[in-house]
Amino acid sequence: MVAATVALTVTACSDDGQRLTIYSGRTEDLIGPLLEQYAEDTGTGIDVRYGDSADLALLIDQEGGRSPADVFVSQSPGALGYLAGGGRLQPLPEDVLGLVPERFESDAGDWVGLSGRVRVLVYNTELVDESDLPASVFDLTDPQFADEVGVAPTNGSFQDFVTAMREQVGDDKTSAWLSGLADGGARTYPNNVSIVEAVGRGEIRYGLVNHYYNERAKQEDPSVPSENYFFPDRDLGGLILVTGAGILDTADDDATAADFVEYLLSDTAQHYFAEETFEYPLVDGIDPVGGQPPLESIPSPEENLSRLGAELATTREMVDASGLAAG
Amino acid sequence: MPVASPPADVARDLPPAPVRRGALKARWVVLGGLACAVPFAVPFADLVVDALREPAAILDVLASSRTAEPLWRTVQLAVIVTCASVVVGTGMAWLTVRGDLPARRFWQVAAVLPLVIPSYVGAHAFVSAFAPGGLVAELFGVEPVTDVRGLPAAAWVLTTLSYPYVYLPVAARLSGLSPSLEESARLLGRRPLAVFFTVALPQCALAIGAGALLVALYTISDFGAVQFVGYDTLTRQIYGARFDRTAAVAFSLLLAVLAIALTLVERGVARRVPQAPAMTLRRAVTVPLGRWRAPALAAVAFVVLASLVAPLVVLGWWVWQGLVNDTPRFPDDGLIPPLLGSTWVSIAAALIAVAVVLPIARLTVRHRSRAGGVASTFVVSGFALPGIVIALSLVNLFVATPLYQTYVVLLAAYVIHFGGQALRASQVAVAAVPERMEEAARLLGASRWRRLRTVEVPMMLPGLAAGAGLVLLNTMKELPATLLLAPIGHESLSGRIWQTAEQVYRYDVATTSLVLIACSAVLTWWLVIRRMEHVVR
Repeated sequence: MVAATVALTVTACSDDGQRLTIYSGRTEDLIGPLLEQYAEDTGTGIDVRYGDSADLALLIDQEGGRSPADVFVSQSPGALGYLAGGGRLQPLPEDVLGLVPERFESDAGDWVGLSGRVRVLVYNTELVDESDLPASVFDLTDPQFADEVGVAPTNGSFQDFVTAMREQVGDDKTSAWLSGLADGGARTYPNNVSIVEAVGRGEIRYGLVNHYYNERAKQEDPSVPSENYFFPDRDLGGLILVTGAGILDTADDDATAADFVEYLLSDTAQHYFAEETFEYPLVDGIDPVGGQPPLESIPSPEENLSRLGAELATTREMVDASGLAAG
Repeated sequence: MPVASPPADVARDLPPAPVRRGALKARWVVLGGLACAVPFAVPFADLVVDALREPAAILDVLASSRTAEPLWRTVQLAVIVTCASVVVGTGMAWLTVRGDLPARRFWQVAAVLPLVIPSYVGAHAFVSAFAPGGLVAELFGVEPVTDVRGLPAAAWVLTTLSYPYVYLPVAARLSGLSPSLEESARLLGRRPLAVFFTVALPQCALAIGAGALLVALYTISDFGAVQFVGYDTLTRQIYGARFDRTAAVAFSLLLAVLAIALTLVERGVARRVPQAPAMTLRRAVTVPLGRWRAPALAAVAFVVLASLVAPLVVLGWWVWQGLVNDTPRFPDDGLIPPLLGSTWVSIAAALIAVAVVLPIARLTVRHRSRAGGVASTFVVSGFALPGIVIALSLVNLFVATPLYQTYVVLLAAYVIHFGGQALRASQVAVAAVPERMEEAARLLGASRWRRLRTVEVPMMLPGLAAGAGLVLLNTMKELPATLLLAPIGHESLSGRIWQTAEQVYRYDVATTSLVLIACSAVLTWWLVIRRMEHVVR
């Protein structure tokens, strides 16, 4: 009986023809409903493996030409850049790339941004007066911020941010900033969530994080006294980092895979990212929710986004050398 | 109640193996044992092959300060956690097995249970409780003075979670030990503490060594706790260097060498320690603690409070907060699919692990071949390799086969990772069957199968159950290999905890963690603790 059921399912799928295997660094909460919607709309069968973006990139690398994955959805440009560097992503169709501004896709056109996360300074509203907020992320090495800033040096977003800083102001100034933070007693945390929690309970006054974590923490407990501060005047501290997707060289059916990536850039999906996960939609004409500043006012890394992945090893060494990451 | 587990090389305690009828048969036992050990060498071999591709670059990484500092931090942490666990685990074992404490059964069970708390959950709870402005500050209005980061925090969290690895074998050893020596010492006027140090402790040396090894391996392989408290060890470097393959391979190799060295040291030391044979006691033996009774009770209560109650209280607090703020966001099917998924996979992994390591245990205990020693070293050391290293090595091996992305590969990863824990218990189990009895059954004409069924298995059962229990607990908590190797659509509790922890959903994290802990606790009780009571009193 069980065998019969299984056989039936398989037949049904092969009749429809299409089946996609997606490796997703976005967790189920952040993409699951979209996948279900897509499967329902198109009749495509969807198989998803959820995991950490970096782990999944390594897995695809290790699987080589036999990888079952068709599409890779990543939380950060770093993991996509790693696969692109290994020649594992194929160029996306022009009509997909055309949906988002050029600054949110790789130069080679082998992956495209889906949603944006803006780097912010989260602060404790009970302990910090608004007039004390810094004009630039570079001010955080000033004595007045000593022992009061939380960072997550091993976190992918922080490292991507440091890489972007290196591209923009050079390695020397970046190293000086990292050492300045370390010498000023910046406190280190495993991830963004811990920083937001630490700011919320007043363990530290400020934290460098992605913007949406505080939105979610406030949803969990509205009484938490933490707020996001967006650095003004296109300061480097307010950089946007994107999540993205690429089609693998091992994809069975390129057209279906491209159709799926296009769906992630549709109005439905972009509104989902804005309203359900509090991220920035990247497609023109769809605005972020709440009091978030408009996308146009937010700077993105100047260089080719794929370099974020290629440069990651050097960035890590610099973060290590600054003394920020050590216990 | 003697939770059992395994002193080290039990082989030494036995009289020399009689020369068997057929050397041919012995050869088959050796070959069979070695064949079972082959899978355990896979991750090590994979690392060596990777390293040989670019030996110069690997050496560069190993010679740099990038390696030296995390290595030194790893060694410091391992030494501190191991020493602290030996003190806590041994003390707890003696007090709860020998001391005339009230509610001894309760303390004996509670002392084992911290083992079921995943280190990433324990560390998260610890930081949330004791950080400035955390739960402790909120509830009691006092700011804890200690910094919740770095070495002290990592050492504290890992000690509270791993001392049961010492407690289990020492408690088992103490309850199987003849009390006559201790009683004589007491009658001759020694105080309880002196009896403990001069009589009980030396007899537990092997059990302590075996437990200490598992604690050390657990510590150097841990990622969850060190990541949470920001203490940069080799394992944290391996995860951090994921896109830098050369560095990742170099660090993994170094960790493997460290693990093998620790295992060899323990074997070497254990070989020199004589051990009196254990026996089955008909009565519980307690030592009147006198005026030490109250302080002893306080100490035991404090350990249980710090290692078990505190994390549970924090998790309970998160659940409460979630209910107050009405934030639960579980999918409609709740936690049933991941609960079932984790449970059956863990039970399967535990059974397979015991089946696979039993021939190796026979090899080391009954035949004491050099090959058996090498095999058991690999089996035990596998516990220290990070899950992602084991997972990726299996991807390499299986990706071209139809088995890839089936439960076969996932279970193989669990067995390779945690088989070492079943090995120690299995060695004890094999040693528990007197060879004379087997011989007698054979002479009476019982077939091989009948001997196995009626003589060996019943006598080995408690030891095997203990080993299976340890594998089961670790499998329930395992995350990286689970995410990478499970067939698509497999749901697990650890995967669910990871998913919700990635977000800020503390209610979901806490609820799922509590379910995982409760389920592990029930299974441990059912498989390990309850069964032990039938056999060892």
